[in-house]
Amino acid sequence: MNVVLVRVDNRLIHGQILEAWVPFLQAEGIVVADDGVASDFFRETVIRMAVPREIEVIVCSVADLSKNFPGAQSEGPRSIVLFGDAGAALRAHQGGFRFERLNLGNIYSEECVVSCTPSVQLDRKELDDVLSLLRAGVAIDLRRVPTDNPPDLQSILRKVGAGEEKRL
Amino acid sequence: MGMIGVLVTTHGNLGTELIKAAELIKGPMKGIVHISVDQNKGVEDLKKEIGTAIKKVDQGKGVLILTDLFGGTPSNISLSFLKEGKVEVVTGVNLPMLLKLPDVREGMTLKEFAQFVKDYGIRNISLATEILNKKAAG
Repeated sequence: MNVVLVRVDNRLIHGQILEAWVPFLQAEGIVVADDGVASDFFRETVIRMAVPREIEVIVCSVADLSKNFPGAQSEGPRSIVLFGDAGAALRAHQGGFRFERLNLGNIYSEECVVSCTPSVQLDRKELDDVLSLLRAGVAIDLRRVPTDNPPDLQSILRKVGAGEEKRL
Repeated sequence: MGMIGVLVTTHGNLGTELIKAAELIKGPMKGIVHISVDQNKGVEDLKKEIGTAIKKVDQGKGVLILTDLFGGTPSNISLSFLKEGKVEVVTGVNLPMLLKLPDVREGMTLKEFAQFVKDYGIRNISLATEILNKKAAG
């Protein structure tokens, strides 16, 4: 597959994906890499039902994503890859599924330590996972929908004293 | 005798405004609540909120959940509450549906009610020139 977007979204497939990202990217497929959905037939069915017929949906565990799509993916159907949290994206990256850019769409945390945007609230663990991804050379993009003006993550991190330089 | 409970859950305040618009036309509506889904709420919190709302409007006849967009978060979360005879979900809520609710809420089972509301909502989407042409031809 030709990966046109890798995104972290607690909501996985929902309105912003189907109505904004899919048409914007002219995506032909969506991969939901989520251990919870991959092991829950009901949730998988609901997700499959929600997606228009012409869009191919693959549901798999994070480990299977890395195993079945090793390296950077640039050939085949234009695809969006969705993770439920930053930790899953990090595991996939460490497992060998390579991407240069990661979009953070909706991350909600009860115990938020860094509020990046109203829809991206990182708790300690999510922050650590994002920092690990940054260190691995992944660029982070903070947009809910394609037309958002993404704020600069580094300056947000610097403001709260969670910048990379402190942790390297 | 209790009536079927109705929960409207939508992106943003669409549902509140739909209910307001319906009440403007038809007068106050009973047994209907709205839950808005915005970017500041987490999925788990929304699940709790919707679960609580279902209990609140359920008078023993079951609850119909009306959502705006199939595949959207309000709909996705609502689907996790689906239960034959207890909870039904109809997507694509529109004003004609809401206006019709009070007229048909009693005397139908939840399933009949949900089916009726769905069909009614679809039936009330019209292309004006199509109607005009039919009238002119007919």
